[in-house]
Amino acid sequence: MKLRVLAIAAAALSVLVPSRAGAIPAFARKYNVACSSCHEAWPKLNDFGQLFRDNGYRMNREKDNPAEQNGSYWPIAFRTTVGYQFAQQEGVPVDQPPGETTTKTGTFGFAGLDILTAGTLGEQISFLVVYTPGLGSAGFGTAPADGDLESAFIGFHRLLGTPFLNLRVGKHAPDLPVDEHRILSLTQGYNIYHFHPQGSTVTFEPGENQAGVELYGHSELDAIRYSVTLATENAAILSNNWVSSPVVWGRVSGKLLLNNGFLPEIKGGVFGAVGWHPTQALTTTDPSLGTMPVNGTAYNNQTYEKYGADLHLLFLSNVNPLDITGVFMGGSENQALITDGVRSAQWIGGFVEVNYTPNFNWVFYGRWERITTTQSGIDTLPKNEGDLTALTLGVRYTLEFSNRADVALVLEGSQVTSTVNGDSVYGTKPKGTTVLAGVDFAF
Amino acid sequence: MRSFRPLLVLPGALAALTLLPAADQGGDADRPPVPIDQGLAARGKPIYERFCISCHGPEGDGLGYSAQWLDPMPRDFTSGIFKCRSTPSGALPTDADLLRTIETGIYHTYMPPWAVLGDYNLRAVIEYIKTFSPKWKDEGPGQPITIPPAPPDDEASRKRGQVVWNNMQCAKCHGPEGKGNGASVPTLMDDWGHHITPFDFTTSDARKCGNTDTDLYRTFMTGVNGTPMPSFADSLKPAEAWDLVHFLHTLRKKD
Repeated sequence: MKLRVLAIAAAALSVLVPSRAGAIPAFARKYNVACSSCHEAWPKLNDFGQLFRDNGYRMNREKDNPAEQNGSYWPIAFRTTVGYQFAQQEGVPVDQPPGETTTKTGTFGFAGLDILTAGTLGEQISFLVVYTPGLGSAGFGTAPADGDLESAFIGFHRLLGTPFLNLRVGKHAPDLPVDEHRILSLTQGYNIYHFHPQGSTVTFEPGENQAGVELYGHSELDAIRYSVTLATENAAILSNNWVSSPVVWGRVSGKLLLNNGFLPEIKGGVFGAVGWHPTQALTTTDPSLGTMPVNGTAYNNQTYEKYGADLHLLFLSNVNPLDITGVFMGGSENQALITDGVRSAQWIGGFVEVNYTPNFNWVFYGRWERITTTQSGIDTLPKNEGDLTALTLGVRYTLEFSNRADVALVLEGSQVTSTVNGDSVYGTKPKGTTVLAGVDFAF
Repeated sequence: MRSFRPLLVLPGALAALTLLPAADQGGDADRPPVPIDQGLAARGKPIYERFCISCHGPEGDGLGYSAQWLDPMPRDFTSGIFKCRSTPSGALPTDADLLRTIETGIYHTYMPPWAVLGDYNLRAVIEYIKTFSPKWKDEGPGQPITIPPAPPDDEASRKRGQVVWNNMQCAKCHGPEGKGNGASVPTLMDDWGHHITPFDFTTSDARKCGNTDTDLYRTFMTGVNGTPMPSFADSLKPAEAWDLVHFLHTLRKKD
């Protein structure tokens, strides 16, 4: 039964829809710039947009303070995607007749709704709040029905007068090699940001926004950047510490402008995380819910790590580039963090992504992703249990890219194949395929 | 719309003629033009279309779709008139002048700093911008003025600067305390007929054409083309201009 659950969990990755914040047209309205100023291809940030974000949503020309804004300005933005999505899942177990089948669904619907508000609260203070309401019909019918604040942070900038010292407090996105909240693909996220080895009890996923504090900094033009986030592991049982179930994520990155028409820019970085996840807790028994761990009593923390590096080569132009990105990532989790674990679990993976933006209307994108378990923590499972391969191809045409709104047509397909051994019911290579034809828009 | 410009320009021109010292509006029309590098301009076009077009417009006339919301209005590149220059009044700017403006942006406006795009892209945009005005085909950029080293900023220099401030009647536009509220303010227009508010020296050191003392000196001696702010190159000696720079420090209210 456990294997079956694991297999279903692995297959669920095939419909992993990236969490989104994306473009914030409220900024374009505030500063009267086109969305293409900050987005290489909406919603992916370019260098100008990244610096704007790093500066705390400020242009730094003494026009940022909200007190200087017209009173009618209201920093609210909405984003959703409507259209048609076809999803096919192979190897789905059924009872009658016993065995497995291939499911096919074709749905007219929408991906979800982001309600964003962001901007400045003062000369050196920024904020972002993203509310994703719980809509059962979202995600083309597959989304959970509980809403959440996807982001909620306040930023304090240029502490001691230097851009190398900034602080974000609240739920924020860790500094990732490629920002999943501004991902181009809509049917497939970066699986590597969400991967757990078989039997893992760890719930930290760098692709999810983390509630914590981030100390980050950058040079004036973002040639060098660093970020360190201290957070409480999302959904973990809270341990008895000053920072319960803590996790630290860090990344150092840089870029080099080469001033030529063949390879004008190179970017790269290294990153890693270490977390301490409790393995034991005091319990209480509830008549209806049974025995429950008590938050704040968990103890015997064990560590897990993630590490990696990324390289981004921007060919032809760094304004309308052929952008080739490679990200390598690995991780390990202590044996005690693996259910029925007999040794630590280790894995490596990565993806290669190619985005071509001939102009700000068009972007063609493709990504191949692979995750491999190098050491299984469970003896009863083959080493390659849960290994995953994903391929995504898409094209996006932006109809409107103004200082008020973004509207883009999207055609995309993705396929995920995972390895599930030893489960005669579920099969060995469950494969999920998703095709989306939709309109992505934000105002 | 453009045919009304002479009428609209009139009040500003009168203000400049009647309230301010005579400015050198001659430029250097005899300076041979520098041919536009068409290859570089072609490379600048998609950069312009991505970052600049919303304000400056597809024709470079400063009438992009965002312009209606902006005050001051975006630069009209078709006129060949540029505010921030190192060249004499009326002359075209150098590439270095344009690069400085684009890299640093313009304080108190919606022109952001674009330095993050890098010289390679910005120089291409500059070349493309030149294609909007025939002026670049007819004349070359002016010769940058020479800026002597700044003398000490001491009490004596500031007092001399106050005398210059009074003699040049700066207060008529900038106000007696430098708040930008002089008596002439209602009449001040730019060459496009838009009302202009003089800079308020009391609230910020971040001025449109740069926030260093050297930038301020340069603005005195080159003027701000297209506005009633004249060049004082013919009216002030370099030492007097530096004294005026130092006097302006006294107007700034400290936070």
